Amino acid sequence: MNQLSRRGFLSATAAGAAGVALAGCDSGSDSPKASSKVTSANRTGAMDKFGVGDQFKATVPLSFSVMLLSNANYPYKADWLFWSELTKRTNVTLQPTVIPGSDYNQKRSVMVSAGNAPTLIPKTYHPDEEAYIAGGAILPVSDYLDLMPHFKDKIAKWNLQGDLDQLREADGKFYLLPGLHQDVWKDYSLAIRTDILKQLNLEVPQTWDDLTNVLREMKKAYPDKYPFSDRWSTPPQPGANNLLAILGEAHGVWAGWNYQHANWDATAGKFVYTAGTDQYKQMLQYLNTLVSEKLLDPESFTQSDDQARQKFAEGKSFVISTNAQELVNHYRKDIAKISGATVVKIPTPTGPIGAAKTGSRLENGMMISSKAKDGKDFVALMQFVDWLWYSDEGLLFAKWGVEGTTYNGKVDDGTFKLASDVTWAGINPSGSKNLQVDYGFSNGVFAYGGSTKLLNSQFPPEELTFQEAMNARKTLPLPPPAPLSSEDREQATLWQTSLKDFVNQQTLKFILGQRPLSQWDAYLSELKGHNSEQYVSLVNKAYQDFKKNHG
Amino acid sequence: MVTLGAPRASGRAPESGTRIRTSRGHRVFQVFNAVILTGVVVVTLYPFVNIVAQSFSSESAITAGHVNVVPHGFNLTTYKKVMSDSAFWTNYRNTVLYTVVATGISMVLTTCYAYVLSKRHLKGRKVLIAIALFTMFFNGGLIPNYVLVADLGLRNSIWAIVLPNAVSVFNLLVMKAFFESLPDELEEAAAVDGLNTYGILGRIVLPLSKAVLATMVLFYAVSFWNSWFSAFLYMDRSNLFPVTVYLRNLIAGATGGADQGTASDTALQIGANIQAVTIVLTVVPILTVYPFIQRYFVSGVMLGAVKG
Repeated sequence: MNQLSRRGFLSATAAGAAGVALAGCDSGSDSPKASSKVTSANRTGAMDKFGVGDQFKATVPLSFSVMLLSNANYPYKADWLFWSELTKRTNVTLQPTVIPGSDYNQKRSVMVSAGNAPTLIPKTYHPDEEAYIAGGAILPVSDYLDLMPHFKDKIAKWNLQGDLDQLREADGKFYLLPGLHQDVWKDYSLAIRTDILKQLNLEVPQTWDDLTNVLREMKKAYPDKYPFSDRWSTPPQPGANNLLAILGEAHGVWAGWNYQHANWDATAGKFVYTAGTDQYKQMLQYLNTLVSEKLLDPESFTQSDDQARQKFAEGKSFVISTNAQELVNHYRKDIAKISGATVVKIPTPTGPIGAAKTGSRLENGMMISSKAKDGKDFVALMQFVDWLWYSDEGLLFAKWGVEGTTYNGKVDDGTFKLASDVTWAGINPSGSKNLQVDYGFSNGVFAYGGSTKLLNSQFPPEELTFQEAMNARKTLPLPPPAPLSSEDREQATLWQTSLKDFVNQQTLKFILGQRPLSQWDAYLSELKGHNSEQYVSLVNKAYQDFKKNHG
Repeated sequence: MVTLGAPRASGRAPESGTRIRTSRGHRVFQVFNAVILTGVVVVTLYPFVNIVAQSFSSESAITAGHVNVVPHGFNLTTYKKVMSDSAFWTNYRNTVLYTVVATGISMVLTTCYAYVLSKRHLKGRKVLIAIALFTMFFNGGLIPNYVLVADLGLRNSIWAIVLPNAVSVFNLLVMKAFFESLPDELEEAAAVDGLNTYGILGRIVLPLSKAVLATMVLFYAVSFWNSWFSAFLYMDRSNLFPVTVYLRNLIAGATGGADQGTASDTALQIGANIQAVTIVLTVVPILTVYPFIQRYFVSGVMLGAVKG
């Protein structure tokens, strides 16, 4: 989880981006005959009875090859406790091909394409796996889920079928075993100067309208300042990408760095073009108001992150986009020189859709070489993968290590605590041993996903409060799957490119007031001129086809 | 600059009008020369000095943009972090080993190939040149190369790095041209005195070719020293990586995807100047070699070798 870079976060929340992978259907069409393809010749080392809650232990010693992303912050070591303990518990030895994280994807491409890939290929972000499907080098894992009781259990228990469907290709199968989160994990929101709120006798804003009022009061008290000056405007455009993303989420549309061209209209039961919806217009209207009342700095959409940070640091603005890290690493340090200044990350303000959140609950995942299927130990391999990546014990082990050595207590009852000499990401800063560097746990290759309780065990109290507020919100279902065929994908990409440019440019014009919103209808017909209708009908056709064939 | 000395003497003898004019023109030229060349020195040296300064500066000074040519807030955190890691030294040793072995092999192969090609009476010379030139413009591509190296069983061995890139066609052609410029008479004289082909190459041609040999050694050594891609591709174990791969990964780790959670001050410091430290650490060794090789970069070894 600590591997979840912004890119990862984005690809996770914006899973199915660009409509390419708006995959998914609401039934498990995974072939029930799968295990019949597996014969007794594949059962070496496998456990006869392996079900939910069982500890996997191979009946004979086995070894599997694995691609290992060596993270520069905790480079691979052969003597990690992780390796020896894993072998002790499962009778499996992993043989890593160590790849520097800087160029992991490139080597993965070469090795898979050359037919030289290790059996397990983790750390793959959807839709990267699509490049390898045609070559037949990777296993359609959805055919073998019967060998994976924990995986199936979590899909059912956490109601993840809809999320999983996003990974499906036009053939109805998926080729990537994703990390699974119990709930959508939100990190990005707004940071706000609480000392100013207190000074002006204001509450922390709960809704976007509250925020407008707060900004108005701030403006009244400091007429020469823009109370809100935002960041994350580096390409991809249109700028203020986080603000647009969370505001869009509150309105039920994709925007900012979450932008997707096709927006699911549940009442009509079809996809519509995102930037042509009323919700999108409403969102632009909101921002336009902020800009025209001089509450939001117009430079928010163009300035560099450093400039925005500078304004916040000098007290020229009081609100700015943030995530947990930026808050602690930068903003707090930046404003330390202003006496009495305090800043917090507030739960994202709610909008027309109410207290709800959207996003994918899938993490990056693992591909398995198709060669493995013919191996004598194939069943054991799948059981092993199921245990390490999907069982509660496996997830806990990969993340926190060994009870009594690296941690104490239980995650479920909240007594969990890292051992006092073990340090990790700001916990026990004086600890002499690093959980990742010295023990090999919380390694991004093995530890991601899991229950909300497991996730929360890593947060400091402040972030925990934020997480609890966000967890209390309802998680909305993801759009149904509409996977495009590879020819359609090419056509769609062409249309998307010109649409994206046009939408970005117009979005900015509407917000900044360079184009009045009274011209919305003219804008809609210009959108059609950029083939928005053809695009949407392509996606709707893919949706219908998928529903017919695999629904 | 160095070039100022000699012409000034001629300027000091202003007897005839024309000579004064040339002398003035010359002085203007010299001044221009000095100014422009000083400018060039500054332009080329400044970035490097700046990098060195950054590598010793604190994170806050770097992000605030205070660092120019002198380090601000002297800080060795990143150096300590990099140099206290045993993997760094293992990989550094690999780099030295790979560079030395690869340069040795490359020099032997390139010299032999180039010497042969420089003989105009050689039958099939054009075919041999064409074969070399062909590889300059066409190659099998990444994956076929990978499959080849893997099937030859070279993965995870030094040979995967030193063999596929052993002959650089560019260097080969430079060397061939140099050998061609050597007067045939020298070799004929040596042959008359009883030396065979290998004797001529070893005792006459090579000693006269120190300039080009030094250049080639430098070219090869620098390129092998800096290379990371073939090692990255063919090495599956981190104790076989050269230091370039190690540092590349370190940069990506420090500047790329940020870890969730609170980054320590140390991590911030490392993120701020890891690139500068990296550049200093990898450039310094090869930089120290340069002055020793440079003295061979003198032309004129051939002057007076041929009489008549």
